[in-house]
Amino acid sequence: MIPLNRRYEQLIQDLRSELRPQREWAENRGLFLVIGHFLVGVAGGTWLCSLLFELRGGLAVAFCLGVLGGLSHLAFLGRPERFWKMALHVRTSWISRGFWGLSLFLIGGVLYLVPQFLPGAPWRSGSVPAAIGYVVSLIGMVGIIGYMGFVYSSSRAIPFWNSPTHPLLYIAYALRGGMAVLLIILMFEGRSPDATLTAIKVWLVVTTVVVVLYLFEIYGAVSGHNPAARQSVRDLLFGRVAVYFYGGTLLIGILIPAMLVSGFVFPLSMGTLAIIGFASVIGDFFMKYTTIKAGVYMPLYPRVTRQVGH
Amino acid sequence: MNIIESDVTRATADDTWLKSSCSLCYGTCSILAHRVDGVVIKVEGNPDSAVGKGRLCGKGVGGLMTHYDPHRLRVPLHRTNPRKGFNEDPGWKQISWDEALDEIAAHLRRIRAEDPRKLVVQRTTTVTASRAPSQAFVAAFGTPNFSTAGGGLHCGNGAHVISGVMHASWSVVPDFEYCNYAIYFGASKGHAAGHASCSNMGKAADARFRGMKMVVVDPFCNFAAAKATEWVPLRVGTDAALALAMCNVMVNELKIYDTPYLQAKTNAPYLIGPDQLYIRDPKTQAPLVWDQESGTARPFTAVPSARMALRGSFTVNGVVGRPAFALLGEHLKKYTPERTEEITTVPAANIRRLAGEFAREARVGSTIVIDGVTLPYRPVAAIAFRGSQGHMNSVYNFLAVDLLNQLVGAADVVGSCLGFNPTCYGHPDTKLPYYVPKADADGLMVTGMWMGYHYPYPTNKPRMPSKQLGLQDVFTMGMTSPFLNSTDQEMLWEKFDVPYRPEMLINYGANLLMSIGNKDVVAESLLKYKFIVSFDLFLTETSVLADIVLPDCSYLQSVDSRSNFPFIFSLPAGLGEWCWPIRQAVVPPDGEQRRYADVLLELADRAGFRADLNAAYNATYDLQSPFRLEGDRKYSFDEICDADLRSHFGQERGLDWFKQHGLIKWPKKPEEVYWRPFVDVRVPIYWEFLKPLGEQIAAITEPRGLKIPRHYYQPLPDWIGCPSHACDAPGFDFYAFYYRDIIHTNSFTMENPWLDEAARLDPFSYTIAMNRASAEKRGLKHGALVWVETEKRRKVKGRLAVTEGIHPEGLGIAALAGHWGDGMPIAKGKGVFFNELLEVDWEHSSPVNLNLDLCVKVRVTAVETGQ
Amino acid sequence: MRLGMVIDLKRCIGCYGCQIACKAEHGTPPGVFYARVLKREEGQYPNVKQFSLPVLCNHCEEPPCVDVCPTGASFKWSDGIVDIDHDKCVGCRACMMACPYNNRYFNDGNQNYFGDAGSTPFERARAARHPTGVVMKCNFCRDRVRAGKMPACVANCPTVARHFGDLDDPNSEVSRLIKERGGFNLHPEAGTKPSVYYLPA
Ligand SMILES: Nc1nc2c(c(=O)[nH]1)N[C@H]1C(S)=C(S)[C@@H](COP(=O)(O)OP(=O)(O)OC[C@H]3O[C@@H](n4cnc5c(=O)[nH]c(N)nc54)[C@H](O)[C@@H]3O)O[C@H]1N2
Ligand SMILES: Nc1nc2c(c(=O)[nH]1)N[C@H]1C(S)=C(S)[C@@H](COP(=O)(O)OP(=O)(O)OC[C@H]3O[C@@H](n4cnc5c(=O)[nH]c(N)nc54)[C@H](O)[C@@H]3O)O[C@H]1N2
Ligand code: SF4
Ligand code: SF4
Ligand code: SF4
Ligand code: SF4
Ligand code: SF4
Ligand SMILES: [Mo]
Repeated sequence: MIPLNRRYEQLIQDLRSELRPQREWAENRGLFLVIGHFLVGVAGGTWLCSLLFELRGGLAVAFCLGVLGGLSHLAFLGRPERFWKMALHVRTSWISRGFWGLSLFLIGGVLYLVPQFLPGAPWRSGSVPAAIGYVVSLIGMVGIIGYMGFVYSSSRAIPFWNSPTHPLLYIAYALRGGMAVLLIILMFEGRSPDATLTAIKVWLVVTTVVVVLYLFEIYGAVSGHNPAARQSVRDLLFGRVAVYFYGGTLLIGILIPAMLVSGFVFPLSMGTLAIIGFASVIGDFFMKYTTIKAGVYMPLYPRVTRQVGH
Repeated sequence: MNIIESDVTRATADDTWLKSSCSLCYGTCSILAHRVDGVVIKVEGNPDSAVGKGRLCGKGVGGLMTHYDPHRLRVPLHRTNPRKGFNEDPGWKQISWDEALDEIAAHLRRIRAEDPRKLVVQRTTTVTASRAPSQAFVAAFGTPNFSTAGGGLHCGNGAHVISGVMHASWSVVPDFEYCNYAIYFGASKGHAAGHASCSNMGKAADARFRGMKMVVVDPFCNFAAAKATEWVPLRVGTDAALALAMCNVMVNELKIYDTPYLQAKTNAPYLIGPDQLYIRDPKTQAPLVWDQESGTARPFTAVPSARMALRGSFTVNGVVGRPAFALLGEHLKKYTPERTEEITTVPAANIRRLAGEFAREARVGSTIVIDGVTLPYRPVAAIAFRGSQGHMNSVYNFLAVDLLNQLVGAADVVGSCLGFNPTCYGHPDTKLPYYVPKADADGLMVTGMWMGYHYPYPTNKPRMPSKQLGLQDVFTMGMTSPFLNSTDQEMLWEKFDVPYRPEMLINYGANLLMSIGNKDVVAESLLKYKFIVSFDLFLTETSVLADIVLPDCSYLQSVDSRSNFPFIFSLPAGLGEWCWPIRQAVVPPDGEQRRYADVLLELADRAGFRADLNAAYNATYDLQSPFRLEGDRKYSFDEICDADLRSHFGQERGLDWFKQHGLIKWPKKPEEVYWRPFVDVRVPIYWEFLKPLGEQIAAITEPRGLKIPRHYYQPLPDWIGCPSHACDAPGFDFYAFYYRDIIHTNSFTMENPWLDEAARLDPFSYTIAMNRASAEKRGLKHGALVWVETEKRRKVKGRLAVTEGIHPEGLGIAALAGHWGDGMPIAKGKGVFFNELLEVDWEHSSPVNLNLDLCVKVRVTAVETGQ
Repeated sequence: MRLGMVIDLKRCIGCYGCQIACKAEHGTPPGVFYARVLKREEGQYPNVKQFSLPVLCNHCEEPPCVDVCPTGASFKWSDGIVDIDHDKCVGCRACMMACPYNNRYFNDGNQNYFGDAGSTPFERARAARHPTGVVMKCNFCRDRVRAGKMPACVANCPTVARHFGDLDDPNSEVSRLIKERGGFNLHPEAGTKPSVYYLPA
């Protein structure tokens, strides 16, 4: 027997099962898409939080994350050299919209940040180009925070992603990611305890929202009658994604930070703060990774028929 | 936008559609091969042809991946390691054709001088076109040892013989155009496999659409059963009991049968004496019947059939005689539905209902007008094939099923069970080919044509010493024999004074190491040959044991004036057209590939028997003058094909004409299709000749210590269990059986990656099917890796597919899979090698027709992890 | 004009002829199935039914795959055929997540069926049609249809289970069959309005 390649073998296995997992957006090069979405989400959130907390360093980090996210997207594409073609269908395509969002964010970000970090730049902070940059990057930020959930919820073949809470969840992720990065930056910048306290409180609130939305989404999938959505939850909680879910999403993303927060209500050492931040960010990655990976195609068979062996 | 140029409009130097024939199975559907710039880019069905009607099954339409397989043989190979075996590297060395042919010719010359019978020639059934050249070659050479390896042994010794005796044909099928109620006993014709496979798929679909009811008796709800109106699961190998119980209900409970048919077209009225033989007219030796009008026993030829008694008991010449039908009626009483339920597991109520449905739907006595001809109309058919015949009791299994047809006269009339084209009045221009069944002295039917060694009826007289290694001269009902490869062959050869031993094997394609039975057993028989030559497409498991392997041309590189044996395997039965397609080369040989038929001619030249071969071709192709081959003139195979075609279809229609037209066709006449009323022949519902045959055989074998169980040689069929039915070892509680996969041909096609891919997607192709409840009872799970093991400790491994669609005691394994050789790397390791479980010996062969028992009692256990 | 297909499940025997005919027509690489045949069973022993369900792109009247495509590579012709322009596709696979029928495949570059043994002359002749890094699917045999032929899977089906024609024409064979035999779609609730109909078994 000649094994053609692993992907092919996997596909054949998948096609044999009635509830076929999606793999294009999570495995092999698909991992770059998850990474890309993760980075861009965090970038958006960080940008927002940095603006709110007036953290210049945070803006820079957000921008860099955005660039990395963009590159990661390119690495995912089958034909990266044609990436610009994705600009063409904003009318119906969320990916197109996201493409614009990220492009505006990066262009705006350059305009806004360059004078702040490069004193010799041709335009100064507060100048018209910088102001335009500020506005454009803000629009881009809204775009990248907002679009991602819709990319998934408009994926009609994957019922697990189709819930209306999905876009909200992604916005919440972005904010939580932003706050988490903020916590890390705060450690480096050594801000006042006040700001830190506010930050941790906001982080707590956002995390709560994320958890509630997440539970809501899982509950929706389980209580609904869609076999594919139920299978997704099974895969998530007990199946092929469970390790990542328990280890990444739950332990690193929720339990560890929660423990740290509850243990040191005040005062927080800067170190733990950073750990909370890192754990939260990593947890976010796994949250996205696991929900994406748990995607299962809706079955094709029209009636309630049984596949051999199931 | 990337508009792909249409293949149709593309103008290149070479862009041609050629008319030829498929060869991925023996169905030989007509194809159009599209060649562009020397590459075959598509194979489609030829809509002009009655063979396939322009449509191909998955195997056929994917054939070019077999043709273009990079693992095909391209050069002649010679073994350098004299030791042969599973673990011996043959050490292949490329040799030139000249060297190869010289060496082979030297062996041929020596053997022909010593004893030509030492040469065994065998071929795969899959390429039917290989039959005629092989047949001519063996006839010219002078050896009777011509075999189809696993073919015939698995599919034909019962099916072909009984179809031949009862329908003058190789096989039977419902008249899809008119049949209203078909009952299948282990056949998938029209739904996956069988003769004229692809054509029948279309016909069966039309019948289904028209509303034909189809009942499928099968341990597995697979291809035919999936499309049936009713699936009747039964215990493997018990078909005879079920069919006989249905006959019993019809004859003794419902009393529905076709009296005029039985009187005129069968031996039902023949008087049988207490010795179970015909009471014959002392003067003419003709069997006697009871003339109800005169109240006397008279030769069957002397009494109008309507006056012949079917019942009663009459004293004739001092003995009590009873019409065969009366004896049949008595005999059937044993098969009460209740007792039969115990044998078959089919509920008695269902047996009664099915018998009633069949009998009533037969509309005994009705007629229909077709093309202005009034014909008997019996729109029911009971058919069988490999499934029910693949058992030790294959003769009776098959005969019992056909009795259903015979009782209601549903034989080769409108809507009934049809033979595959046994009557042909020939092309209007030449009246060729021409064949019509005829009667022997007892009034019983002799077929008009046959492709085996000898006609199925009358049987030859058993003879000693045996000339044939398969002992078919002793067991004269056997067409193919397991003894060419059995464990006990030497013992049998000694017993029957076979005065020589096989020394040389010429194999065409057959992968017999896989296709017969347990591989160790078969290998042992192969290792006894001094010299094996194999013509093959691939280095199969079998060809690896050869001394010389010759790279054959594929079907897309070959030429044949008859791509099939006309008109059994490929042309559908029923109304429509006669159609004689040819095969032509679409692309040239690759590397040093050469066509088999050409090589045989060359070998005859080198071994010095070209004149005999020419003469044999004259006989094989029934060449008429002036097209007969002369003396030892060196004709090419193309020239012989040309002669065949001109001889059959006229001077102007030679090979070139056919290359252009692909085929010739003409309409079938109703009298050809529904020939039974037009031909004065009878068929035996009572096999009177069987008992004496048994005695004659016993007279030879029993003094030599081989007991003939007489219950196999009774004139009326019984259900006789296989060894598996007697196995009650604890834990061995499944009857393993195999079945054809729709996407695979025997062992051949697993190497085709498209077909392999489809099979991998299929729930059953490469798995072992087990009933859900049975699996649960044993704690076995879907997808589990299991051992399937026989009492003799032969075992195979495979993955379980748990399904509701299989008899709780059945274990279904698809196809002829599980290749282990490296010569077909795509095929390697795919599926389950069922035949590993099969014994090949006298004990597992039918003592009547040498049919091998293909069901086996097994134990199924989970493979321990780590094993 | 809205080209559509009708597959008669009563006739279909699950022979994989369509799947392979499509392979032969298009020479699609391993792992790309414009046509496939699914098998399922219903019921309990001994009252069991085995079904075959041949699937292909439904050429939806409202194709979600087209909506989500950021580049316009997925598009619909005026005759209703939903197609992919491989020159525009960036390989984002959003369409694969949108098609409720699993009928799109990513050509990851695995181009020949015999693996290391190399591609066949047939595959080489067909390879030009299959750029890598893009998504592929059934195009209703657009070239054949333009040349006045039936799609390969329709022309080849040994049981004549597949029919092809204009769904907008009430007198076409496909329209008539759908009406007379109660043709149905897969996942009508998805609102995609498929142009492939099935007739009950
Ligand atoms: N388990 C199991 N056993 C079976 C069967 C089964 O279905 N399952 N079927 C039984 C039956 S009924 C039969 S008839 C036999 C069939 O058994 P075989 O006669 O062995 O037939 P195949 O396995 O189809 O093909 C054997 C080989 O023929 C070669 N071949 C194909 N085309 C050509 C060609 O054009 N030229 C040459 N030279 N060689 C070619 C290829 O190498 C192919 O692998 O097996 C029997 N045994
Ligand atoms: N697709 C395909 N077509 C082929 C072939 C092939 O390999 N593949 N091979 C060709 C050849 S060589 C042959 S001989 C023919 C064979 O053609 P078929 O006779 O149609 O072949 P099988 O599928 O072996 O047997 C038919 C059925 O018998 C069932 N069966 C098994 N045991 C029993 C039993 O004890 N009783 C009953 N009632 N049923 C039983 C099986 O489940 C199967 O459904 O097909 C020819 N055509
Ligand atoms: S039935 Fe046999 S001959 Fe006909 S297309 Fe299929 S494989 Fe070829
Ligand atoms: S080719 Fe026809 S019969 Fe065969 S699986 Fe496809 S639709 Fe069904
Ligand atoms: S079936 Fe899928 S790929 Fe085809 S048009 Fe509909 S949504 Fe698009
Ligand atoms: S993969 Fe290609 S066709 Fe599909 S959505 Fe992306 S760009 Fe469009
Ligand atoms: S219409 Fe053409 S491309 Fe589509 S599945 Fe059929 S053969 Fe393949
Ligand atoms: Mo066979």
